[in-house]
Amino acid sequence: MSLLAPLALLSALIVGPLIVAMYLLKLRREERRVSSTFLWRRMVRDVEANAPWQRLRRSWLLFLQLLILILLAIALARPFFLTTGISGRNLIIILDRSASMAATDVTPSRLEAARRQAYTLVEQLPEGGRATVIAIGGQMEVVAASTTDRRQMNDAIRSITLSVGSRGDLSQALALAAALSAREPDSEVAIISDGNVQVPTDILVPATVRYFPIGQRGENMAISAMTLQPGPAGQMLFVQVTRYGSAPVTRRLDLYLDGSLFNAYELSFTADDAPGSSQTIIADIPAQVRVAEARLNSAPNEDYLPTDDRAWAVSQADSSMNVQIVGPGNRFLATALALLPGVTVTSATTAAGAVDPAPQVTIFDRVVPETLPTGNLFFIAPPRSTDLFSVTGVVEFPLLRPAPSAIEGQTPPLLRNISVSDVNVLRAMRVEPGIWARVLVEGDGSPILIAGEREGRRIVVLAFALQDSDLPLQVAFPLLVSNIIGYLAPGSGLEASQITPGQPLIVAVDPSATAVRVVRPDGRVEAAQVQDGQAIYASTGMLGPYLVEQVRGDQVIEQRRFAVNLFDPDESSIAPASELRVSQVSGLQQAVTREQVGRQEIWRWLAVAALLVVVVEWLVYQRTSLAYLRQRFRHMLAARRQSA
Amino acid sequence: MSSDHPTDVSLVCHGASVTTSSAQPLFDSAFLRKLDRLTLLTRRAMVGNIQGERRSPRRGSSVEFADFRPYVHGDDIRQIDWNLYARMERFFLKLFVAEEELTIHLLVDNSASMDWGDPHKLTYARRLAAAFGYVALSTLDRVTVTAFAAGAGAQLRGVRGKAGALPLFAFLQRLQPGGSADLAAACKRYVRTAINPGPLILCSDLLDPHWEEALRALGSRPFEITLIHILAPQELRPQLDGDFRLLDAETGEAVEITADLETLQRYLEHLRNWQESIERFCHGRGITYVQVDTAQPVEEFILTMLRQRGVFR
Repeated sequence: MSLLAPLALLSALIVGPLIVAMYLLKLRREERRVSSTFLWRRMVRDVEANAPWQRLRRSWLLFLQLLILILLAIALARPFFLTTGISGRNLIIILDRSASMAATDVTPSRLEAARRQAYTLVEQLPEGGRATVIAIGGQMEVVAASTTDRRQMNDAIRSITLSVGSRGDLSQALALAAALSAREPDSEVAIISDGNVQVPTDILVPATVRYFPIGQRGENMAISAMTLQPGPAGQMLFVQVTRYGSAPVTRRLDLYLDGSLFNAYELSFTADDAPGSSQTIIADIPAQVRVAEARLNSAPNEDYLPTDDRAWAVSQADSSMNVQIVGPGNRFLATALALLPGVTVTSATTAAGAVDPAPQVTIFDRVVPETLPTGNLFFIAPPRSTDLFSVTGVVEFPLLRPAPSAIEGQTPPLLRNISVSDVNVLRAMRVEPGIWARVLVEGDGSPILIAGEREGRRIVVLAFALQDSDLPLQVAFPLLVSNIIGYLAPGSGLEASQITPGQPLIVAVDPSATAVRVVRPDGRVEAAQVQDGQAIYASTGMLGPYLVEQVRGDQVIEQRRFAVNLFDPDESSIAPASELRVSQVSGLQQAVTREQVGRQEIWRWLAVAALLVVVVEWLVYQRTSLAYLRQRFRHMLAARRQSA
Repeated sequence: MSSDHPTDVSLVCHGASVTTSSAQPLFDSAFLRKLDRLTLLTRRAMVGNIQGERRSPRRGSSVEFADFRPYVHGDDIRQIDWNLYARMERFFLKLFVAEEELTIHLLVDNSASMDWGDPHKLTYARRLAAAFGYVALSTLDRVTVTAFAAGAGAQLRGVRGKAGALPLFAFLQRLQPGGSADLAAACKRYVRTAINPGPLILCSDLLDPHWEEALRALGSRPFEITLIHILAPQELRPQLDGDFRLLDAETGEAVEITADLETLQRYLEHLRNWQESIERFCHGRGITYVQVDTAQPVEEFILTMLRQRGVFR
């Protein structure tokens, strides 16, 4: 234990003698003339027989007053213990609220433990210290920005609730923390997490980063995948259960179809199975089933994360998508589109013929209409300019390569699993895109594949005709078509019905629909926002099946189901990480853990003790009155008993 | 009327009061009329100097027959019972009970310890003594008042008859609290000098370590002693809280106490024991012991308490 302000102890040296002096002055008794001391003298003679005790009792008050003084002086000197904690004046707390923080291996939950740790850190903040509280997991949120108000900090920490959205991502939060700490000296970043977060490698934090690991155990079983697909006997259900711990475990998996129990499966993992090993259940289920739910029965000591013990899958049997091809006819395209599930293709030579229902995606193969239809557009080798882009000529034998912007970071979704460099092209249109467009593939300085959004619609332009290249002959072609259709018509197909928490639901809306409503898993009905032919509903933080209904008047004209599941192996493997690799300017490559730099001050307790002693001192001082009161009370009781 | 003449001492019987120069009136006239009806009781006949209204152990000339005795030479022949001579043919004198005056001894403790208390103890003692004196004077007894503490002249000797009431009251009003008084020595001195022992009324607080000696000294002559033990309410129920240095009014001696409930309780216990021991002592010596709290009005004390105890009738 050390003292922050040892000089304050001098106050005891000053006030202490003052108290003693005043006490000695007080000992000069009040003089009073009495008729005779005859009776008093006789009494005092008796009393003096136990004089030492008398003297001791007389000094009780002095003793208590000195005790109060000592307690207050020590409190003023601000003693503290070193604990794990922080030592800076500008604290940036990054608190993990991702799904894995719901684990109950520490009571009551990891999130609560993290909150407590955060309160402790705020407590350790020196006078006038600032704190910023950032919550990661799902959408990053700055709940308290550089405040000196401790109550605000505590309120902010209290307001952090679990977010089962995407995995906790440190990169954004650390970037913000780095910016904040660069501005202010003596900064510290405290990461309170179980370590199941994405750690960026490219951020150098100009402050000490401390990591406060939360959590103790890693036993968890999760439903890691679940789909419902059309099959030979109606539908086929596929459930994958993964065990993340290493202890042998046997669990029962209950399967519910549209709310009623269908089957139960016994799953057992032995100690020999590696952590992360999984088992799969495949079941044939009737075609009319709409929602399937799988539940792992609870096992308190073998599974600390209940969130991932339930999963849902929805049937896609009744969803379809209209794609219209306008052009002279293209066999490659028609074949590729036919391979996609749930896609209805209509063909037309010109865009004049109105199609009902309005196609969600219109493909212009080597033609460009006078007026562009509604919905999303895919141009293939446009022969002339439109409002969206201009065509300035022809490029011969372009050499394709991904655009530089696409190399940095991740592959854009359109080029997923596709290599364009070995595609040979005879001739391509020279397209000058508008500012809305992003070039994904270019050839000899001319954009070949561009994609983007303009006025609420998505547009993809492929600069060459399929017949002028060997692309249709390559494996990449059906994948590219699938990617493009997935991009142009989001919310369709198998993939789209399975979304992660926090990801918005996007549904193409029939123009005749008057309203779109969403039935949430908890039964609440909410209206979705409709804009440019798309309904978007973003509050999908709750796991479970969602039903999106399009309504015309009183009539439901279309229903679509979505399942929001936490299929995230990173969140389900809840074993806490003991170290966190965060590069710092100081050269450390690892966040500091368990360094005893925090100062746990205890002056509050001393002040409370002093207050208690003050109360005791007052009682001792008033003991005569108290005894008198007690006597009166006793008399009163006796009188009442007699009268009763 | 009296206030016009501060030094004048007057006894006014109608509508006014007995006053002195300095102090409040001793009594009002209504109370004096009530006192007129009282008589001081004595348990036995005592010798007096001159004829009065009290039975005396002597034979004398009253209407009450006492005894016969044979005539001896020199007796007054008027006292011979001639009827008896006719029957016995011998001379006998017929003797009657003598009725003589009594000397009432009033002893007032005016030591410094009496100059204390609210109501004041000495004032209380003065009024008590005045009442006793007035009752005695109204039954044609002789009254002697003696104050302890003061030196010479602090004694009023032998006033008699109602006319003596005036000097008696004046003397009591003039009585000033003295310094320290040795109760025992004063009593011994009084016993030595007193003539005609009679009823003796001692008004004192007895706050003296030698109170037993004093009472024993008084008991050595055939006085019929009544001890009026005067204590102020502040002595009977002290209201003290805190640390005090108590100074003796007589000796200036100091006692340091820490007054809390426990101390006060112990004080009360001591007080009770002390009073009991006085009472026991008095009982053993035929002394009438009466305690009085000065908070009790004098009139009430005299008219009820003292009559109950058989001091007055």
